Amino acid sequence: MIQKPTFTSTWKALLYLLPALVILLTFNIYPIIKSFIMSFYTDYDFFKDIVYEYGLDNFTYIFQDAEFWKSVVNTLVFVIGVVPLSIVISLGIAILLNTKIRFKGIFRSIYFLPFVTSVIAISMVWRWLYHTDYGLINYSLGLFGIEKIAWLTDPQWAMPAIIIMCIWKGLGYNIIIFLAGLQNIDQQLYLAAQIDGAKPWKRFMNITLPMLSPTMFFISIVSVINSFKVFDEVFALFDGKPGPAYSAQTIVYYIFEKFYNEWEFGIASAAAIILFVIIFLITLIQLRLGRSRIIY
Amino acid sequence: MKIQLKELSMKFDDVLAVNGLNVHINKGELVSLLGPSGCGKSTTLFMLAGLYKPSSGEMYFGDTLVNNVEPENRGIGMVFQNYALYPHMTVLKNIMFPLKMAKVPHKKAEEKAIEMANLVQIGHLLDRKPKQLSGGQQQRVAIARALVKQPQLLLLDEPLSNLDARLRIEMREEIRRIQQEVGITTIFVTHDQEEAMSISDKVLLMKDGQFQQYSKPQEMYDHPVNMFVGKFMGNPPINMIPVTFDHKNLSIQINGTDEKLKVTSKLNYELVSGNQMLLGVRAEDFVLEKLEGISNSFSAKVDLVERTGRDTLVHATVGNHAIRALVNQDFVVKPSNIVKLSIRKNRLQLFDAETELNLVLGKE
Amino acid sequence: MQRAAFSKGFIYLVLIIGSVCMLLPFAWMFITSIKSPGEVMMMPPVWIPEDFKWENYKEAWSMAPFARYTINSIIVTVLSTLGELVTTILAAYAFSRMHFYGRDILFSILLGTMMVPGEVLLIPNYVTLSNLGWIDQYQALIIPWLASIFSIFLLRQFFLGIPQELSYAAKIDGCNNFRFLWTIMVPLAKPALITIVLLKAIGSWNSFLWPLIVTQSKEMRTLPVGLTSFSTEAGINYELLMAASTMIILPMIILYFCLQRYIIEGVAKAGIKG
Ligand SMILES: Nc1ncnc2c1ncn2[C@@H]1O[C@H](COP(=O)(O)OP(=O)(O)O)[C@@H](O)[C@H]1O
Ligand SMILES: [Mg+2]
Repeated sequence: MIQKPTFTSTWKALLYLLPALVILLTFNIYPIIKSFIMSFYTDYDFFKDIVYEYGLDNFTYIFQDAEFWKSVVNTLVFVIGVVPLSIVISLGIAILLNTKIRFKGIFRSIYFLPFVTSVIAISMVWRWLYHTDYGLINYSLGLFGIEKIAWLTDPQWAMPAIIIMCIWKGLGYNIIIFLAGLQNIDQQLYLAAQIDGAKPWKRFMNITLPMLSPTMFFISIVSVINSFKVFDEVFALFDGKPGPAYSAQTIVYYIFEKFYNEWEFGIASAAAIILFVIIFLITLIQLRLGRSRIIY
Repeated sequence: MKIQLKELSMKFDDVLAVNGLNVHINKGELVSLLGPSGCGKSTTLFMLAGLYKPSSGEMYFGDTLVNNVEPENRGIGMVFQNYALYPHMTVLKNIMFPLKMAKVPHKKAEEKAIEMANLVQIGHLLDRKPKQLSGGQQQRVAIARALVKQPQLLLLDEPLSNLDARLRIEMREEIRRIQQEVGITTIFVTHDQEEAMSISDKVLLMKDGQFQQYSKPQEMYDHPVNMFVGKFMGNPPINMIPVTFDHKNLSIQINGTDEKLKVTSKLNYELVSGNQMLLGVRAEDFVLEKLEGISNSFSAKVDLVERTGRDTLVHATVGNHAIRALVNQDFVVKPSNIVKLSIRKNRLQLFDAETELNLVLGKE
Repeated sequence: MQRAAFSKGFIYLVLIIGSVCMLLPFAWMFITSIKSPGEVMMMPPVWIPEDFKWENYKEAWSMAPFARYTINSIIVTVLSTLGELVTTILAAYAFSRMHFYGRDILFSILLGTMMVPGEVLLIPNYVTLSNLGWIDQYQALIIPWLASIFSIFLLRQFFLGIPQELSYAAKIDGCNNFRFLWTIMVPLAKPALITIVLLKAIGSWNSFLWPLIVTQSKEMRTLPVGLTSFSTEAGINYELLMAASTMIILPMIILYFCLQRYIIEGVAKAGIKG
């Protein structure tokens, strides 16, 4: 009765799956295919939903669009700025939290807090913190004799502003995952190493890091993918603009611009496909690297 | 309710888990389904429960063919190896669950459940959750839940294997008590031969999905139909000594030695395929003597003497075959002694080396 | 001994400094939200306002239709969470307990689509919704989010951990599949379900890009979308902007502090992407 699929059991299962499948097919599976097709629309009337022409023009356009390349560079800068720093800081904090200290739970909750808050709302707060004249950050820097920085209006400082905020926001998530990874390490390994005379730093290098490599790997993939998709933060921090002089325009922002403001559905779709391909390739590369790096 | 299985088989993708089982179980009997792990015991039980649909064959409960009857309509109760109690329900709710499903009025269901709880002696634990119970108590709850609908057949799938040794003995007596009190036909799955011997009216022994033997426990022990049954029953395991059969003198010679023994038991010559056989003797069926000149005996060299309180187990070698014999406590023997062994009357088995069948004629 | 105490102290110091950095933006948000306009622009900054201007909240609330935004956010969050819960439970049950043709293939396809960034779906979904005439309606905000592959996957894993014998026992007790799912599986899966609900609610409450795209009129905006347009209106009145931000952030913070165990453990177990 329960072991083999039959037509009856398939019908029954279909009833259970129907609600989810209807939604997923319409809003998850179909749009993936549709997106590919739309990226080849070169002449399209959205209101009548008629395609007059297919072709590669969208891709040629994008590849010749300086603005697109700028957004790719910005996104890369963002990824490189956020991911490694965020991993190092969160690993450090996770290790400190994993020692025998009190108030562990409270610390954990505090670091995780930004995760549950609205990106938009908290970006408003950061916009205020970054205020050139009255912002808390410039005030604090001033105490150390550092000149005022035009965080949100100087194209040079737009990216760092976004990066700092995103590291702040993402720390908690990484810490929680690292903590889970650390707690999975067999404590006896440390005891054995201690008996073998390994000092704390050696223990960290020879036990913690290798044993943590799957976690590290997981976090780095998730962080890279999410960083490639940054959008809300940019939108909210710069008040609906991609930073001063497009200095913080990311790939998703580019897609949003083309789609929402310029109604270039074909170009926007093509850019989305390119984003997908980039993320896919980077994941593949990381999987490759990961296989040789993960120690056990 | 009497149960009848006819050519019952179950095939998973490429495994023949149960192969052509023919069994008749009388009303009110407790039958053990015995065999090593993976031999198809659970599969058989699950087919009886209606949880698996047999690939072929028929199952009769009383005179009704039940192959296509849904589990809840078969009039069965079942106890699982891990008890399968509903973790989020109290003991009382667990026992009441089958009645609730049968739409028995709440009040009546509760009464019945409490009555059942008292029968299995957990009346004082009704408000606990399964996690707050010991293994033995969980077991009792599972039995109560299985019995509360007053089924005609009780199925137990290795119900004792998750308990520690002492509890296991207590619970098997308890199961027997409850079974006899209720008078319910019961099938009890186990891989432990001692458990099966101690609790059952009859034992059904299986191996790799194949039926081996179905008989009273003592008979299975005394007269195993083949080598597998012989080896499976009993602890320490039966001694198996390769011998060569002499048709003319009706005697056997232990291979690799000059030791000869007369065979007095009647053999079923139709089954004999050659002169190579295995002599099967249980450890307690050897008689050890230090004296020379005992007739119909062979000598062996003692390797090791193990005293386990009640008994003394002597490890010895004859030719190059290790044998084990249980002897009386006051029998004094030391390693490297040479002893004489004879076999109690009618307590030897001869297995054909090729077909592995027991050649000694049984009582029937 | 002294060394150990020293390094303990160092650990606390680092963790406390870090915590201050994490909490400061929230604190600053709140402090600013109850300042007078004059205090907002004061340097050095005022840490404790002269008198607490709770009126800022009232003023912010009345400057934009925040009541409407809040109702919209609540409607969208509650309905999409409940809906997802139901579709998830049913689908996870089918994938974990039922045998049907194409089960494994279907499941792999669904998992595979999790690789595709949501941004790719944006444009076709917009087209679909406008063809359905749902743009600027609740349907557009809710219906596409009524099922989640990730939640299905999570719950399926949890369901698989529930012993098969339980369903056999229930079957013998006369409990059919559907009833078994709701009376046995669902109560047992409570921790997983709570995690799923909380993460969904947080995500739904905070989501921005989608509501931004599918809403046009003010009446349909959710809180985050409303906030961005309000930020333009509020201009340099940061006390009002901070008051509005606090109103959006506060419900989630309260939810978080009440149920953080489920959220944090859920994230730790599932590695949910943020
Ligand atoms: N659902 C199943 N699918 C495939 N093979 C199974 C299934 N259940 C049992 N088997 C196989 O059938 C054989 C008998 O299993 P089982 O009845 O569980 O043995 P026992 O209970 O005697 O240990 C085993 O080889 C097992 O691997
Ligand atoms: Mg079994």
